[in-house]
Amino acid sequence: MTLSFTVNGAAYKLDEGRAEERLIDFLHEDLNLTGTKFCCGIGVCRACTVQVSKPPNPTPSPVISCSTTLGMVDGSAISTIESVATDGVPDAVQQAFLDNFSFQCGYCTPGFVMAARMLLAGLRAQPIPEEQIDAAMMQAIGSHICRCTGYARYFEALRPLAVAANAGEGN
Amino acid sequence: MFSCLFSGGAVVSQSHLGGAQITRRMFLRSTGAAVAVSVMGVPGLATTANSGPAAIGATASAMPGVASQRIDGLAKVTGQKVYARDFNARDMPGWPQGQWYAMYMRALTTGSAFEGVDLSLLPATAQPTRVVLGNELNEVLRAPKLQFNRDLHLQERIAQLRAKGGNSQNDNSFDLPPDMSYDLIVVPGNVPDYLGQAVALLMFDSLAAFRSAKSAMQFNDAAFQVYETTDQDSPAMGSAFSPQTTYVKYNDEFSYASADPETYMDQVGDYQSKIRRSLGREPDLIRQPFQADMRAMDPMFMEPEAGLVWIEQGTGTMNIVLGTQSPDGDISNILSMYDSPDAPEHLQAVNLTSCYPGGGFGGRDSSPFSLMLALAGAYSDGNPVRLAYDRFEQFRVGLKRHGARLSGELVAGVDMKLEAVQMNLTFDGGGERNLSPYVASLGALCAGGSYKVPKASIFAEALHTQNITGGSQRGFGGPQAFFAVETALDDLAAAQGWDPVELRAANLISLGDTTVVGGPIEQPLRLDEMLEIASNHPLWAEREAIRQDYGSRGMTYGTGIAMSLQAYGTSGDGMVASVRLEPDGTLTVQSDAVDMGNGSATTLGVTIGPILGSNAARVDMGCYTLFGQTGLTTDDPGGERWEKPNWTAKSVGSSSACLTGLHQVHTVQQTANALFEGSILAAAAQIWGVAGVSASEVVWRDGALGRITVEGNQLSLKTLAEEIHASGLPTGALGHAYFQNTWAQAQYQTPGGSLLLKLDGLSFYHAGGGDPVQIERQETRGPDKHSTRYARYVWAPCINVVGLTVDTKTGAVQVENVLSVLNAGHIHVPQLVSGQSQGGVAMAISYALLEDMPPGMDGPADGMWNLNRYHIARAQDVPLRNVYTPGLRGQELITLPQPEGSEPAGRGIAEAVMCSIPPAISNALRDATGKRFSSLPITPTKIMEGLGQ
Repeated sequence: MTLSFTVNGAAYKLDEGRAEERLIDFLHEDLNLTGTKFCCGIGVCRACTVQVSKPPNPTPSPVISCSTTLGMVDGSAISTIESVATDGVPDAVQQAFLDNFSFQCGYCTPGFVMAARMLLAGLRAQPIPEEQIDAAMMQAIGSHICRCTGYARYFEALRPLAVAANAGEGN
Repeated sequence: MFSCLFSGGAVVSQSHLGGAQITRRMFLRSTGAAVAVSVMGVPGLATTANSGPAAIGATASAMPGVASQRIDGLAKVTGQKVYARDFNARDMPGWPQGQWYAMYMRALTTGSAFEGVDLSLLPATAQPTRVVLGNELNEVLRAPKLQFNRDLHLQERIAQLRAKGGNSQNDNSFDLPPDMSYDLIVVPGNVPDYLGQAVALLMFDSLAAFRSAKSAMQFNDAAFQVYETTDQDSPAMGSAFSPQTTYVKYNDEFSYASADPETYMDQVGDYQSKIRRSLGREPDLIRQPFQADMRAMDPMFMEPEAGLVWIEQGTGTMNIVLGTQSPDGDISNILSMYDSPDAPEHLQAVNLTSCYPGGGFGGRDSSPFSLMLALAGAYSDGNPVRLAYDRFEQFRVGLKRHGARLSGELVAGVDMKLEAVQMNLTFDGGGERNLSPYVASLGALCAGGSYKVPKASIFAEALHTQNITGGSQRGFGGPQAFFAVETALDDLAAAQGWDPVELRAANLISLGDTTVVGGPIEQPLRLDEMLEIASNHPLWAEREAIRQDYGSRGMTYGTGIAMSLQAYGTSGDGMVASVRLEPDGTLTVQSDAVDMGNGSATTLGVTIGPILGSNAARVDMGCYTLFGQTGLTTDDPGGERWEKPNWTAKSVGSSSACLTGLHQVHTVQQTANALFEGSILAAAAQIWGVAGVSASEVVWRDGALGRITVEGNQLSLKTLAEEIHASGLPTGALGHAYFQNTWAQAQYQTPGGSLLLKLDGLSFYHAGGGDPVQIERQETRGPDKHSTRYARYVWAPCINVVGLTVDTKTGAVQVENVLSVLNAGHIHVPQLVSGQSQGGVAMAISYALLEDMPPGMDGPADGMWNLNRYHIARAQDVPLRNVYTPGLRGQELITLPQPEGSEPAGRGIAEAVMCSIPPAISNALRDATGKRFSSLPITPTKIMEGLGQ
């Protein structure tokens, strides 16, 4: 038996003996993808959030890679922060965070980017009444911990994108 | 990429930096041998799978003086390797691929002797390759002499104590209570000095074994450590770290600053009596006693400390990868560890890769982590070693904001005028001395708040306890002291039926007044304007209507106000910077500052824009070894001070966010001025074919230099760079500045003429590389020695108004609105100032209401604490809107506009907004409930107890 999944489009097959290993360790040690950040290691701070899509559910969901085993992502498509920019050009979320000076030390930022992207994808797929957007943002990134910024600039940056995505704009 | 730390910068390639040496400096060891310390660039990203082109960062913006984004932003937002934790040996150019892993076992008691470790319960696959106990280290390595040259006036006091043969006469004890020696690793047979002190170093030659051991040992330490069964006391528990601080002020007659340093302490007792007698003669005086206490607080920066070390056997070169706020002090202390004839390695060179810290807040300032990493490097058989704390370990051993107890009284007249403040501040220093006495000392200064107080008697000390070591943390003693004095003021107002704003307004300190230390206020504070703005703001002015509105909805609401007068800088600060014009016309800034996320790199990159016509394309941070190229020295055996041509009072210090706004910006700008007037104008004159041109005759337009009165022939930076590089003019400038109430200044002869600069050292770089050439300084004027006794000189005042609701059935508190009125001086990058303010608000709410860390083994010292138990503010705990809107939650920052024509000097504001939020919260709770909550954090349990429920 093997575990199989993709990370940023590249396929990996591993011995099932590794099923109990943490996803974040695999990203860091095996793939040298250190953009996904280790902070609390117990699934509270959400700095290590990655995007995981697992058939038959077509909607990607945020996964806390420090508390997710390789066995749990068997059959999944995983995307990390390293996959977000295209040829070094930031995506809309990254650009909005840059433009708004949303982060300072930046260590929590990859987690915020991944969670925000999934929020936007969800809003595009399934729009909500506009008055619910603030609650949706809080649901998506409100549990992420940032020690530097006080969160305000993350929310300021994300709101226009969320409104636009909810209106079916962007991709 | 960039850095000593790193920067942003245009396209950066592996070949450009790739771990290349940025700056280098020689240090002498006690044995007389020299050690070369180099700061290295962070390696490029070629080893990162799936990484895109190494187009990291961009200039902060194309508009000179303006930042459109953080210069380090793109690298961070795209997840590139910028933090020490991101790196393994395989990422480091020229390092061996094999990597060992270090783990420290931590003391579980200070009540019995440690006997040794028993690893028999570890499975074979989890056995360490090597176990190192304290008795295997030589004395210098085990208990290195640590230097914390933090505050000149305290250093002078220590020197005074040493000269007098007082408690600190023993060289080995300066970092400790008398006669104590704290070992990095406890020697078997000794009682640990504090909880979490290392008792063994375990080295693993494989990640699998390390992980296996960690899995077996975590949360189960007691199964692997052996202690004597009989109880023994750890020596010196409860004694004070040296020095303690006593500030006694008696009107204009006597103070720490005005008294003779030699006799000050001898006179203190008499003046304390005088104060008592004087106050006793006035029976109408109102006395307001107070007491407050607060838990220790974890900085909880997001990246747990991590690093790499590799000592090349044979060459004696230590390569070390760190994310630290204090590269200078860390490396100096590491050198002292290895400075003995029987050291396990005889260091010839240290190569420091200084990475962006994933948060700091002071917690990475002089952190013991650096020493523990460097120690592990000696026991890996020449292999690279990784030491990476997880969050449990970080909570267990990382530096904390001190738990503290404060008590005393305010004395005021019936006219509301404060007559005296008396305060005792006791800080829980925890295990190691670290910066605790310096923190306590600044707390003592803050005991005077923002007020003019004629008489003061303040005593502050930090005690050695079994708890986790306290150190520098945002506010540096201010959060504790301002909480005590600002809540006491409100209690005084309430007891007398006074308006809390009027009471404060009656006592504001201003130009010409003196602090409780006796130092003069020589910088406009504008507290009166700020208080007027705050008190006229609807959040305060309409507070009763707001209360009624909440009340009509069944909610209990209160409003509180508090002020702080946080100093920035220390009693003497040295900074170094270089500004270079590259052959392609781009600009590079190097600074000793470290950017912990506060935006220093961005600010320094854009602050040269108006001077040089363009922002920096590259900013290298953490380049403290630049000082070694200035030709300056701090040695002054003859006491000549500024008469000595190459002397300066301080080289560089550790990096504090509050040093950017004034100190670092000044240094970079003066250095940029030297390049502009000393070289660029000379080049322009050569091209234009004129004898000379002055700064007042030219102007930058769209990145090109032109003459104001002459049309055409605009010179791009590239054209100027070509002329400069071809004609032998200086291609860059290296400046050192020293601030101690005033700037040291001197005259310098340059190709562009004689320049008066507020620098005490200037050198020029020339084409072709090589060390910069020092320019002889002339007509030097520097601060006199005595003003270090003022303790601090410059201030970033802030007033906070907090409106909150409290659920009287559960004790839950929600901060509804915050108004911050801040004097930030000239604002270099508005977004960074507001971001620092917002971060301060969140951290302060968290400190005041949420972060609850018991001392001893009931707290994180047991190795079982993480964010599931230690709660810090999340988005829902913080008002997110950036303007005040009645009925909605928000935080509004009002910064004072600067008077026209005033010098565009910024103020260091990293800590300013945070310091007065906790007392404003407590005051708001008192307003809401009628009860004073003076013990932080103010948890729902305490509130329910306070309400008698």
